[in-house]
Amino acid sequence: MTEGKLAITRRTLLGTAMGGAALSLAPGLIGRAAAAAGEFKIGLFIPLSGPASLFGPTGRACATLAADEANKKGGILGRQIKLFIADAGGPPADTAKSAVRLMLQDGIDLAIGSHDSATMEALVSTFKGKIPYVYTPVYQGGECDFNVYCLGETPAQQVEPSVTWLARNKHAKTFYLIGDDYVSPRKTNEAAKKYIAAVGGKVVGEEYVPFGAPNKFEQSVTRIKGVNPDVVLITLVGADNVNFNRTFAGFGLDKSIARLSMLLEENTLKGIGAESSNNLYSCMAYFAAIDNPANNAFKAAYTAMFGANAPQLGTIGVDSYAGVNFAKALVEKAHGTNARKCMAASEGVRFEAAAGPVTMHGRQVDKNMYLANCNGGQFNIVATFKNMKSGTTCKV
Amino acid sequence: MSPIFLIQAINVLYGVTTLAVLVLGLAVIFGLLGVLNIAHGEFVMVGAYCAWAVTADGLPFLLAVPLALVVCGLLGLVVERVLIRPLYHRPFDTLVATWGLSLLLRKTAEAIFGLGFRSVRLPLAGTWHFLGVDYPSYRLVLIAVSILVLAALFLWYGSSRTGMRIRAMVGNADLAQAQGIAVKRLAAGTFIAGTILAGLGGVMVAPLVPVQPFMGLDYVLRAFFVLVVGGLGSVLGVLAGAGAIGGLDSVVSALIDGTYGYFTVLVVAILFLWLRPRGIFAHN
Repeated sequence: MTEGKLAITRRTLLGTAMGGAALSLAPGLIGRAAAAAGEFKIGLFIPLSGPASLFGPTGRACATLAADEANKKGGILGRQIKLFIADAGGPPADTAKSAVRLMLQDGIDLAIGSHDSATMEALVSTFKGKIPYVYTPVYQGGECDFNVYCLGETPAQQVEPSVTWLARNKHAKTFYLIGDDYVSPRKTNEAAKKYIAAVGGKVVGEEYVPFGAPNKFEQSVTRIKGVNPDVVLITLVGADNVNFNRTFAGFGLDKSIARLSMLLEENTLKGIGAESSNNLYSCMAYFAAIDNPANNAFKAAYTAMFGANAPQLGTIGVDSYAGVNFAKALVEKAHGTNARKCMAASEGVRFEAAAGPVTMHGRQVDKNMYLANCNGGQFNIVATFKNMKSGTTCKV
Repeated sequence: MSPIFLIQAINVLYGVTTLAVLVLGLAVIFGLLGVLNIAHGEFVMVGAYCAWAVTADGLPFLLAVPLALVVCGLLGLVVERVLIRPLYHRPFDTLVATWGLSLLLRKTAEAIFGLGFRSVRLPLAGTWHFLGVDYPSYRLVLIAVSILVLAALFLWYGSSRTGMRIRAMVGNADLAQAQGIAVKRLAAGTFIAGTILAGLGGVMVAPLVPVQPFMGLDYVLRAFFVLVVGGLGSVLGVLAGAGAIGGLDSVVSALIDGTYGYFTVLVVAILFLWLRPRGIFAHN
């Protein structure tokens, strides 16, 4: 019932908005319509406000770089890409409102989003599959809604290989799980328990702290000291992640207990600092420190376009680069943005991510994963896991 | 006694003493002047950035203390003059004004330093062997410094001339003025003392937490809880409030987990607002 009411409201809104738009644009309508046919409009949803807006500038720069590269090669199906950037850092409902505006007023052909999963859910129910929606950042896996395409790292890609690596190379047998109390850490840990059991390991503790509360970690760290596991698997994010790791090292536990953090990129590591990052691991599809021809070329192009003081590169941010490249590959393979055709075309589509080409299967992306230790506050890549499967297969 | 139990006990002491020091600035400004300073956390943040600025330049950490004193003192001076002075005795207006100030300070920090996390190197790394357990040395020093600061303030406020003048002003400003006390200057001085205390609290915690423009939000809510529970206008109230809020949070977090710790804090704050709104040590 609510659903029906919502739909009517949205239709009413659509009518009003279209009417208003037509009226106000009437004088310049012809010129505008011609331009509209010539441009491929992409809505880019990245955080520009709130704590996550730290990632906004990188996302904007990387999407701009990808659009510029694509436009030099003729754009998408001969149409030049134009980015419409919207803030996804506020409450999900606000982002959904911007999405409605971009769809109705600006007529975007496709949407790319790099934001939290609550916003992703709001956008999925806003777009309702009418335009292709590309969700690019690391997430908990399992998203299969109609006409939605996920590019980010999943637990199957992050946790499974790194837990296996730690078991094999560091003889890790006991694991302690700590995370922020919301959907993504709990889902990730659910998956992690399977992978830990598979290598003969044991979960010796699991705890969650309230998400968004001013958390302190002395008590948790002392508890971990009492249990003395081989590895702490961390699904804390942002400031909590920094806080926990600084406290952990402050209590001297970093010497004997390894840490594997699930959302640890360049900015967070800067906060944790060199002195607190020994024996700390991160497994991601992208680090700025990856030394391969693709990433070196990407970084050179990025620096050439934005200068030496460009925003810090990290996995959240460069995902927008992959997002634009994916949009081009998908729409050209499907010869347009028809939902059914895009869904079918997505299978096996190959495109350039910042660290090299990747392939989509089941609307998720198989990719190379990199395990880095963070000794000295730098990502030092210790293992590469080739062509890891996402663990989620959606119907196409 | 098991070593883990002892460490948790020290954690409780650490939680209570550092919380008390972080609340002091607000206790002075809200408790004595009746100004609902929502920007308290932002003064803590400014202090923390002072610590970062000093250590990032390779200077000794302790230089952050005079720097925070000057920066937060000057900020306090300007803010009191421009924003607070016209609003004394209008608590709700001070709340709105300092809320605006908190936004301004946060955005200014964002404009100068960016949103990224900064880390301040621990001035005292490693752990000390203490009563048979290892405890981080910097945290032990913080406990000691916090106790010293609280004791000094307690003694000073109770026995010094200025302390007496402040008590006179808080008790009855008009009468105090009639007695020849320069109330305006005294209030300004008290406000500045509050912002400086907040800034010094920021310097103290800076090596332990991520330094970023939003960090103040972590401190302001808890500080108000402490004052709600402890009551306004006395050092004992701050101690009682910090003991109740910080202690309960630490004990419950140690026994169960952080979610229950935070939950207990919220419940206790609500119960006090409801049943005993003037706190444990009410100032009349």
